[in-house]
Amino acid sequence: MKIPELKELILRSLDKESDPEKASAMLEEAGVTWKFSEGFHDRVLDAVFSTGDTVVRKIEFVRNLNSVFYRIALTGVAAIVLLLISIFVIQGSLSFDSFLGLGDSYDESIVYLLTGN
Amino acid sequence: MIGESYRQKSENELVKASLEGDKQAFSEIVSRYQNMVARTVKGMLGDSVFSEDIGQDVFIRLFHSLSDFRGEAKLSTYIQKIAINLTLNEIKRRKRFFSTFSQKGNNEMFEFEVADSETEEKKEAAELVSKALMSLDPKFRVIVAMRMLQGYSTKETAEMLDLPLGTVLSRLSRAQEQMKNILRKL
Repeated sequence: MKIPELKELILRSLDKESDPEKASAMLEEAGVTWKFSEGFHDRVLDAVFSTGDTVVRKIEFVRNLNSVFYRIALTGVAAIVLLLISIFVIQGSLSFDSFLGLGDSYDESIVYLLTGN
Repeated sequence: MIGESYRQKSENELVKASLEGDKQAFSEIVSRYQNMVARTVKGMLGDSVFSEDIGQDVFIRLFHSLSDFRGEAKLSTYIQKIAINLTLNEIKRRKRFFSTFSQKGNNEMFEFEVADSETEEKKEAAELVSKALMSLDPKFRVIVAMRMLQGYSTKETAEMLDLPLGTVLSRLSRAQEQMKNILRKL
């Protein structure tokens, strides 16, 4: 197709009344079309499935990390509860002093402990 | 043959199989729609390696969003929407980049390499259309590309771009005016 004819066809294809399918087919016949380079298909599949594997690995890692976190957190909570119970049993209360192990200490004995006098 | 049986499968069957991890099914989807994506991406961005990258991103994005595909619209429409969005994002990105770092004009942001065609005449035709499209305002370019390169009707274009029909019609007529001026100079 000669350039002036092609220009005419381009403008005609944009007419509201024109048949876009027909115009697009005519342009394609005139050479107005694009394709991806050779090997595009294989590159896409490589990219998709290698990315897919990476995503799966990432998801597995996050899942494992979560389960480890929950186990550590649960063990920690259980240890704190046991500690509180043992403090309550030994000291008879759950005051701040009893947390610090000072429940049955007098001020004088602390001063003596710290200064030696 | 395995490939032959996939070629006969419907879009929905291919999507379902791809979701179940069937690589052959996804390969068939790529084969079926790669030329359509090439026309959209290369038509709007020019024929360059960057367009190939965007084309690749379209299928990667499609693969990761296949579970969102409900089958209410055609798969080609779904893919076309991804291609348009990624291409428009790239146009915006380039515009930002060039306005910040370069004094280049709008149509210099794109490349006009045209792949080897069968004849010199066809090569010239593709080059002319490419140059004309790149000179268009991006909001007109997408409408022209949909109609001229993909053969979509005004209604289909409106649905694809989520625009009112009136907007598409008015943009089409303004695009035609702009195109007239561009073609006169080429």
